[in-house]
Order: sequence, then structure tokens, then C-alpha cells
Amino acid sequence: MMSLVWKLLRQHISIAQLAGFFFANLFGMFIVLLGLQFYTDVKPLFGQEDGFLKPEYLIVSKRISGMSVLGSEESFGFTGKEVTDITSQPFCKSVGAFTASQYRVVCSMGVNGVAQFGTDMFFESVPDKFVDTNLSNWTFSPEEGVIPIILPRTYLAIYNFGFAQSQSLPKISEGVVGMIDMLVVLRGNGQEQRLKGKVIGFSTRLNTILVPESFIQWSNAKFAPEADLTPNRLIVEVKNPTDDAIVKYINDHNLELEDDKLDAGKATYFLKLVTILVMCIGMLISILSFYILMLSIYLLVQKNTEKLRNLLLIGYSPVRVSLPYQLLTVGMNALVLVLSLTILYVVRSYYMNMLWAMFPQMQDGSMWPSLCLGIGLFIVVSLINIVVVRNRVMKIWNRKE
Amino acid sequence: MNKIELHNTLPYVFEGRDVQSEIWLQDVTLQKGETYLVEASSGTGKSSLCSYIIGYRKDYSGNICFDGKDIRGYKVSDWTSVRKRTLSLLFQELRLFPELTAWENVEIKNGLTGYKSNKEIESWFERLGIADKMNAKVGRMSFGQQQRVAMIRALVQPFDFLMVDEPISHLDDENGRIMAAIMTEEAMRQGAGVIVTSIGKHMDLPYTKTFRL
Repeated sequence: MMSLVWKLLRQHISIAQLAGFFFANLFGMFIVLLGLQFYTDVKPLFGQEDGFLKPEYLIVSKRISGMSVLGSEESFGFTGKEVTDITSQPFCKSVGAFTASQYRVVCSMGVNGVAQFGTDMFFESVPDKFVDTNLSNWTFSPEEGVIPIILPRTYLAIYNFGFAQSQSLPKISEGVVGMIDMLVVLRGNGQEQRLKGKVIGFSTRLNTILVPESFIQWSNAKFAPEADLTPNRLIVEVKNPTDDAIVKYINDHNLELEDDKLDAGKATYFLKLVTILVMCIGMLISILSFYILMLSIYLLVQKNTEKLRNLLLIGYSPVRVSLPYQLLTVGMNALVLVLSLTILYVVRSYYMNMLWAMFPQMQDGSMWPSLCLGIGLFIVVSLINIVVVRNRVMKIWNRKE
Repeated sequence: MNKIELHNTLPYVFEGRDVQSEIWLQDVTLQKGETYLVEASSGTGKSSLCSYIIGYRKDYSGNICFDGKDIRGYKVSDWTSVRKRTLSLLFQELRLFPELTAWENVEIKNGLTGYKSNKEIESWFERLGIADKMNAKVGRMSFGQQQRVAMIRALVQPFDFLMVDEPISHLDDENGRIMAAIMTEEAMRQGAGVIVTSIGKHMDLPYTKTFRL
């Protein structure tokens, strides 16, 4: 019986109009979803939160100019007086010193047991409270002989692009840092010791090879007992990293802030801008297509007014008479949703492969945000459709047609 | 529903006119189980009366009540239920669907009420002499044939009142008699009241009362 009603009400349905709506809406919806999906996928590359260093921690060093290179050496290091001065500033919560290894370090790195390259290196440490990681990973004991290490993220890029690519070695993503084998040889004070290094993570903000403080204390005492431990860099915990007083102090004292956050911030801003622009265009297309659909439905109801009225007069309820058109629109919306999500999935896997090739450390984001947005749009548009159809039918009921 | 009452009812368009009518501006009660004839001349508001009672139009003053309840207060769901179960109307303009076959036109109603078996419907088609037209599109049938299809459609629902608006205007006497017989059988079976309107030719039935509109 429902099929008879459908047989009646499908009269005057314009396939061309509905197809126009369908493809326009598919296009618009796809652009909206793609915009959001691309944004969620790419955003972590720009605004990467540093897992090991909170934003309130700033790294301060002395500005190196031509003058200071030619000048006295101690101007690189921070004297005790300078440290106290920084600590006494109102923006400062606490200060920690970078302590460098004072002996020779040779390190060879390999992947999956195959040694790849070796180099002279150095280590640095900051007080443990400044390192935001599980402290049970961040300890060293001479008996175990394993040194936890945090590398600058740039090293990963250097390895992946400079090295792995040319030697056709596997690229390493952050998720599999455990694959990196490090053999560390310490020499100094007439002694030599081999230890294993274990990379526990990468940091964007630290331009150093960071090890636990306990290790530096132990190794400096053992391999370079007489060395001078004047820190070259300080890690400063501030109350508010955007405080102007910090910049003023840094400039007044000829210091330098190590920070790349500003550039990342700009890039993220432009990314957001472009995303919003793209999504707006998609939205516009969707809204226009929605308009086509509404016009088409208006026209359809208009042309079928007499049939709808007769159905109502022989006892069909407005709900029942509205149903075929509501199902038609909701069905098309659902089809658009499913199709656009499918296309999005295909397109995404394509660009994600390209992104992975460029940024192996990139984590596989999720499609949930776009899925939610798509479903949200579907529900909103469908609800509007349902209400509009129902209102048109009620107009016929109330003889306002 | 046991009675339909009209209290001082008058279409808006007749206001200010000198109306001589046994329905308009009167107190009229139509009882279930009785048979009434409403005789009218053109332009006296016969179709308006049908439209008011089926809830299609409300452009009248005064009241119309079903079992004492003013139908102006009826909600959409009340009307849907009345049109499905209580009141059946054979429209003068028939209101069939020309795109559907004769059978489908009846089925679209019977499917809603689930009231009659296919066999009963077929037997009516046969008695009315249009069995061969069951699968023909209604749009291709003559008005007289369409009237018979509309009558069958009006009968495939439960009702307390059956209102037929000029049912035999395009039928010959023989078919008019058959239609009247089928209608009366069904109305009696349901114990329903019948209201027949007519401009000229009217069904030959034992009317309880005749109103001049």
C-alpha cells in the first residue's frame, strides 16, 4: 500500500533536479569533510606538543656574537651571580642548569642490531624535575648500564631523509624508537666504558642530547673529575611564557631564547585560515545544493498538491503522506554522507601516504572528527528537510496552498 | 458516532442573503441508521455542506457537532480517524487518482483500513459491470465508470455515516439501481446512516427525511 502511495507521489519527480542536488551536495560535503580531515591530520605536524618539555619551560643561552667568540671564553657560561639574578626575577619560578658531559663520547647507532653510523657526541642533562616523562624510565644506574636518551626531533629527520633514504634503510617513526640501538663508549680520565643507550623519545624544543642528571653526575665524576661545570644554558620555568618582561630581560642581558614555537604558531595560524576558507567554500556549495533540493521538493509538492490533498481527504494522515518525500530526502542525504565519507577515506589514504613519506614521525590521526561533522550535518539537514516537507503538507491540509 | 448536528450553520458566502433552506440556519440532527436526501439546486452550497462535514473546509458560521462535540475543535489526528473509521464520503468530483488503475484506487484506501477482502471488492466490480476495467487507468475511464469506482472506494472502510454527493449523475437507471442496492446493503450491514445529495436525478431509496437545501 505504501508502494501505491509512492507510485502516486513519485509523479513529477525530476531526476535532473535531484541529480543536480546530489552531485552538488556530494561535492560540497566532501570539501567540508576533506578540509576538516586534512586539518586534523596535518595540525600535529605544526603544533607538535613537546612531550618532554612544558611550554612554561624556556631555554636560555648567551647570545653568541662575533665579539664573544673572539672575547673571553667564560662569557658563554652563566656565573652563579647571573643564575641568582634570573632566579630573582618576578616572572621566574625556578631555574635549572644544563650540565654537559666533560669527557669524550663516541656513539654508534644502528637499527635492528645492524650498526649504521658512529659519531663523536656529547650529553647534557637538566634537573629531573624539568623533564616531563615517566620518572621510572628516566633513571640511570651504573649496574644496569643503560642510558635513557631524549634526542632532538631533527635528528630523526636527518636519519630518515639524509641517511635512511640514501642507504635504503627503513625509516623510523616515533612510535618505534625502541628499534634504535645505541652503543655508547665513554672515555676520559684514563678509563673507557661501553654502555647501551636507549632512545625514549624526541623533543622539538631541546637542541641537545638529553640524559638523566644522575648519569651526568656519575659519569662526570668518573671520567672527568676535575672539569669545570659552568652551565652554558639554563632552563627557566616561568609563570607565563607570553610575559613581555621575559623578552625585555633577555634582550637587556644579551641572552637568547631557544624557541621555535613562534614559527609553528604562524604556520598553524595560516593552516587554520586556509582550512576555514576551504570549509566555507564547501559549506557554500552544500548550502546552495540544499537550496536546490528544497526548491525541487517545493516544486514536487506543488505539482502533486491535488494528489496529496486527495490522500488526506480519504483518511491518510499528514505524517504518512509526508513520509515518502521525507524518506527520499533523508535517503539522498544518507547516500551523500556515505559516498563523501568513502571518497574522503580514499583520498585521505592517498595523501596520508605522501605525508608519511615526508614526515615518518607523523601519527595516524583519526577520521572521527570528520565522521562526527558529517553525521552532524546529515542530521541537521535531514531534520530541516523533514520539517519543511511536513510544513508543506500541513499547508495543503489547512488549504493554504 | 451516532448523530451529526448542525446548529445555525451558514456558509460565509451566504451571509447577508435571504436564505430559504431546511439545512442552513436551522437546527438539524442526522441520526445513525437513517437515510436522508438533501435536494439542492445549483449554488445552494451542497458541496460546501459535504466539505464542512468531512472537515475539509471551515468557512461557515454556527456549529456542526458530531455526538455533541463541535468539530471546529477537532485535531488533525481526530479528522484522520474520522475519515478512516467513522465517516465515508463519495465526493461529487470523485477525487480518484487518474494515474492509478481502478483496482489500485480502491486498494489505496482498503490498504489503509484493511476492511474488505479482495474477493468482496472484486464482486462489487462485477456487479457494477466494470470488472473488465479493474486494471485500466482511471484517467482513461468515462465519468460514469469512475463514479462506480469511487463508490467502491467509499465502501471499503468502516463508517457510521456514508455521505454520497450526486452519486449517480452520470449513470443509467440500471446501474444507478445496482449502485443504490450495493450501498444500502453495506450501510445496513454496518448499521450506518446514509446522506444522499442530489440536484436532479436521485437514488430511489426509502428516505427517512428529505431536506431542501
